[in-house]
Amino acid sequence: MSQFQLNGLPVQVDVDDDTPLLWAIRDTVGLKGTKFGCGIGMCGACTVHLNGRAIRSCITPVGAVAGQAVTTIEGLDPAGQHPLQVAWVAAQAPQCGYCQPGQIMQAATLLEDYPNPTDAEINAVMAGSLCRCMAYARIRKAIKLAAAQMQGEPQA
Amino acid sequence: MFKRLVLGSLGLAVIAVLGLWILAYRPAIDTIAAPGAGSFLPERIAQGEVLAAAGYCATCHTAAGGAPYAGGYPMETEFGTLYSTNITPDADTGIGQWSEAAFLRAMQQGVSRDGSHHFPAFPYQHFNQVSDEDIGAIYAYLMSLPPVNAPAKAPDIAFPLNLRMLQAGWKLLYFRDDAYGPVTGGSPEWNRGAYLAEGLAHCSACHSPRNGLGAELTGEAERYAGAAIDGWYAPPLKAANTAAVAWSQDELFAYLRNGGTALHGVAVGPMSPVVHAGLARLPEADVRAIAVYFADRFGPAADTATTAAIVARALASGTPVIGQPSPAGEQLYAAACGSCHFNSGPVPALLRVDLGLNSALSASDPSNLLQVILHGVGVEEGLPDVMMPGFAHAFSNDQVVTLAAWLRSQRTSLAPWPDLAARVDALNPPSPPAP
Amino acid sequence: MSLFRKLGEPGAAPATLTRRSFLIAAAGTGFVMAFANASVLLPESADALVATKSYDPNLWFRIDQQGLITVHVIRAEMGQHVGTALARILADELEADWSSVRIEHVDSDPKWGMMVTGGSWSVWQSFPLLSKAGAAGRIALIEEGARLLGVSPSACTARDSTVSAGGRSISYAQIVQRGNLSRQFSADELDALPTKPASERRLVGVDTQAIDIPGKTNGQALYGIDAHLEGMVYARPKIPPTRNGSTVVSVDDAAAKAVAGYRGHVVLEDPSDTVPGWVMVFADSTAAAIKAADLVEVKWTNDDTASVSEKDLLDHSARLIADPAAGSTVVDDAGVDAAFAAAATTFEAEYTTASVLHFQLEPVNATAQLKDGMWEIHTGNQWQSLILPTLAKALGVGEDKVVMRTYLLGGGFGRRLNGDYAVPAALAAKALGKPVKMTCTRADDARFDSFRSPSLQRLRMGFDADGRVVAMQHDACAGWPTKVMVPAFMPKGKNGEPYDPFAIAGADHWYTVGAHRVRALSNDLANRSFRPGWLRSVGPGWTNWALESFMDEAAHKRGVDPLAFRLGLLDGAGANAGSAPNAVGGALRQAAVLRRVAEISGWGSTLPPDTGLGIASSFGQERDMPTWVTCVARVRVNRDTGLVTTEKLFLVTDAGTVVHPDGALAQTEGAALWGLSMALHEGTQFENGQVRDTNLGTYTPLRMGDVPDLQIEFIASTEAAVGLGEPSTTVVAPAIANAIFNAVGVRLRHLPMRPADVLAALRKPAKA
Ligand code: FES
Ligand code: FES
Repeated sequence: MSQFQLNGLPVQVDVDDDTPLLWAIRDTVGLKGTKFGCGIGMCGACTVHLNGRAIRSCITPVGAVAGQAVTTIEGLDPAGQHPLQVAWVAAQAPQCGYCQPGQIMQAATLLEDYPNPTDAEINAVMAGSLCRCMAYARIRKAIKLAAAQMQGEPQA
Repeated sequence: MFKRLVLGSLGLAVIAVLGLWILAYRPAIDTIAAPGAGSFLPERIAQGEVLAAAGYCATCHTAAGGAPYAGGYPMETEFGTLYSTNITPDADTGIGQWSEAAFLRAMQQGVSRDGSHHFPAFPYQHFNQVSDEDIGAIYAYLMSLPPVNAPAKAPDIAFPLNLRMLQAGWKLLYFRDDAYGPVTGGSPEWNRGAYLAEGLAHCSACHSPRNGLGAELTGEAERYAGAAIDGWYAPPLKAANTAAVAWSQDELFAYLRNGGTALHGVAVGPMSPVVHAGLARLPEADVRAIAVYFADRFGPAADTATTAAIVARALASGTPVIGQPSPAGEQLYAAACGSCHFNSGPVPALLRVDLGLNSALSASDPSNLLQVILHGVGVEEGLPDVMMPGFAHAFSNDQVVTLAAWLRSQRTSLAPWPDLAARVDALNPPSPPAP
Repeated sequence: MSLFRKLGEPGAAPATLTRRSFLIAAAGTGFVMAFANASVLLPESADALVATKSYDPNLWFRIDQQGLITVHVIRAEMGQHVGTALARILADELEADWSSVRIEHVDSDPKWGMMVTGGSWSVWQSFPLLSKAGAAGRIALIEEGARLLGVSPSACTARDSTVSAGGRSISYAQIVQRGNLSRQFSADELDALPTKPASERRLVGVDTQAIDIPGKTNGQALYGIDAHLEGMVYARPKIPPTRNGSTVVSVDDAAAKAVAGYRGHVVLEDPSDTVPGWVMVFADSTAAAIKAADLVEVKWTNDDTASVSEKDLLDHSARLIADPAAGSTVVDDAGVDAAFAAAATTFEAEYTTASVLHFQLEPVNATAQLKDGMWEIHTGNQWQSLILPTLAKALGVGEDKVVMRTYLLGGGFGRRLNGDYAVPAALAAKALGKPVKMTCTRADDARFDSFRSPSLQRLRMGFDADGRVVAMQHDACAGWPTKVMVPAFMPKGKNGEPYDPFAIAGADHWYTVGAHRVRALSNDLANRSFRPGWLRSVGPGWTNWALESFMDEAAHKRGVDPLAFRLGLLDGAGANAGSAPNAVGGALRQAAVLRRVAEISGWGSTLPPDTGLGIASSFGQERDMPTWVTCVARVRVNRDTGLVTTEKLFLVTDAGTVVHPDGALAQTEGAALWGLSMALHEGTQFENGQVRDTNLGTYTPLRMGDVPDLQIEFIASTEAAVGLGEPSTTVVAPAIANAIFNAVGVRLRHLPMRPADVLAALRKPAKA
């Protein structure tokens, strides 16, 4: 039994504490945007934010996030219009799309740490996000588009 | 002849037991009626609360999921498992009937109110350095807690070591009853740091090696030389420390205050409650004083230029090699670790813990790195709100070994860790294959 | 005859147009366009047909009263944005306003005919049909619009969902609201329907945003793994040690009982023999099913394949190839043996490829339930028509009692052409009497994969005294997916032996090489030991690797520039001249893309040390549907580490008409990187009856940082639209091998090419 914040709302999941957060989100809460790819933290499909930073939910026990704030692709932006999502559509990045929620969540942390990322920074930080369709060139392009857009925004 | 021998040995034995008894004998101190919170000034209780935190009383005197201070926390020692006791003011199972004098004696001499001896797992050798005034405040605080009925659990230690009487012998050998006094020549800040570190905070209890009977080694060479503790490794708190960037007073302070720094990594394992549950309650000046004290022990810190050079080298060693399948460790790192740990210069980011600078990687003992790879870092550990998932169920032990060995060789210039595989197996006993 | 037609129901795609006719009718709230069933007599009115429901309601599209146009798509969406491309073909002819077009991926139903998404066929095969459907709709709307406007149809034009004549106009929505649409097109009328000339196209060939993309950026896209049915039980299989020959001896679930939510297990009884030896473990959640299955201990007996290794497979291939009587001759010109005997010199080389996993990112899964007498299978699948009969057999019901609900695919790449994973879910649901959702873990998925068989090929070429090529033979041996999964679809070779077209396509190339023989050999040990799969670009994935490496070797042996050597053989003579409608221009179009890629890549220019360019070309998947592709790779080889860095890939493609240029580019990017991944990064081994690598800890597909510069170009063309999803996959590995040779002078003949292989080759003393 764990309680945490999911996309800003409190949720309580009646599962063992060692249940991977991924399955608590998908099966128990029923949000399907977070994907299962490898289960060992090496594909990035299951990436969500914990307290605003990307983590792999497939290897994160739900007990470890008790009381914390978890954000999934569904909660990244209320209207699905986060600059990254807008850029992803503009660059027509997704192919099958299965990796993309994870790619976007990882990219959000990338841009937080490196608002104007170089190719090397993109390579290193996104290396954990496998795209089997190999849409990499467009993912890179979309990241840069979003970065430019976010940089252009007046500082709040 | 034989008879004489037998009689003689018997006699010697009797004398020995008698001697030990005499040596061990401490009178019981009379019980009192629990004084109740109302008998102490609120400021004194508040003061005691801070000091109790700084002594991590709750860390050891609280079982997982149990009431704070009600005891029952298991402590694995080489000799068996000990359980901490209930120090809430419950009359039957706690310290409700203890007078302040009894409490003082327990804290400073390791003798219980009833006259029995405490095991040295209770660091009375350190609390012995704490002033009566401060201990009195802790007493006031504990007495203000709600009483919890929680009977003590008998230690799981084989005969004869379970004889508390024997602890007197141990004390004879290792206990020095020398109350703390300021060191002349030390600044007031240094002395305050020393008082806290050596007394309540009992840093050397973890950071100094112990002898075969579990006593801290006190020789200058051994003191603070680093030691294994609960499957982790408490690194040396002196010049022998192998951190990539030598510790400075500022780094020490930041680490102790925040739970981590960009140049050394984060406080995890047994060090995490020290920072987050313990020192966190102390005023900034006290934490600064501890940093001052240890900075002195560590010796000169790296200067700015040296630090910059080390950082640059460390970050360069973390630049991923791209292209074809590289060593297996690098593959694992790139896909599983790099997205959080990669740093691009010139300065590593605090939240992107850089492994090239990480103390766990430069330590002589791989335990801390392995523990973190296997079990991660909880939200309550390390830096606030940041967590790292563990890979115990994701990687095979072989892969953990491969990754750790690769990190050591790629990110440091230190010798490889010997027996890495055995260490991983010890920390994560092999189980059925992961899905 | 194309593979598609061979594989399709009797007389698929083009034949359909002549056997059936279109029917347009007002129906319900809108207007539908459907095929009239062949048995329906055309003189009957369309309205009557609708009223009596005696028409075959396979609606290709419909327009509602608001003018919203819904196009039904029978192809699976797995990243190719196929719905967008198909809808644009139709909408272009319909003169529809694109913003009012929607797509709907349909469930399986016999009315759709053959449902398969693979072979890069979707656009090529649907183009004529959808154009005609759009054109017929346009004509019907113009006729009715003209009547409502009181003008003659010939005075009207249609554009942006509006029919106009002079200054007056009426929208499609208004026509649907006010008109009385009822129209039939006979087979002859359909043939005569005017489709637009390429110059009039407004949507085809013009970029647009793919309709499926936004949902893939916000978590709304639903894949098979997201299926949720009321009351479903979660399941995970215990996968037996061998694919075909394991039998359950005992199951011990004592340890699993400690898992909260564990519900028990069943040993699956499978009349279709798709999943022999499977045990299904049930629980209240995926997590509990995964955990419990780990703790359930199953004992099996295995057949002899439990000890088979990759080496055994390749040794077996070698034995087969050594037997001249073995296999099926796919190409067998007269006088091959004589030509070799008479040749002044011959050259021979062998090439191998390792097992490759699909590793589509969404592990296979399926959810099944019996509802109102129908078995519903919820899953993403590429070839519904293939697995439906098997599902029916497994469940012991008629095919009409099974329907496959459509979901997005988290990657197909051919894995989901084989729908075997739907069977255990259906059997489990039957055994349990409840809806069951089966999810494979990644390791389950890998062990259950229909991976790409390892292959061995031997190529020989004969030259006359002047160095002209006079004979060529290409023998290729591998496991045969089609033999294992659809043996009835194997055509016969020249010697009467059936062969798997998907395991040899690519060897029947367009080079003029004198007497030519292509021999396809089935590795029966592979076929028994695992279920060989179709994997992106299938046969050409290995045949073209061997062929184009060999062409380079032959050129070097002759002392000729590899580009010039190829161009010399691509003369378009005889059988290589090409034919309408799909292969107009033949070999000369392959020569053209070669010249173009040489131009943009700076072929022949001087490069830094240990850096080289390599070239390779292909005609894509099938001779009948050639997509002319070519690649130049620029690589740098580190002589100390053997590391090969791919600096840049130049690709030029002639795919005829390109419907959705940005989608085509995306497909080409993905295909080329797949080629690169299989060339240098990924590959596994068969070991003890199983694949060795089952997850990303050791299986290493290409990642973000490994992507080289890509320069991709399409030849502008209005020729027939052909396939794009795969062809570029096939040219990258040989281009890289050829580039490595040009960089450091060593020849690698095995895929993948690992640094250790490069080092070993570099250290071998050079042969004369
Ligand atoms: S599913 Fe979590 S990283 Fe692959
Ligand atoms: S878009 Fe298919 S896996 Fe990335």
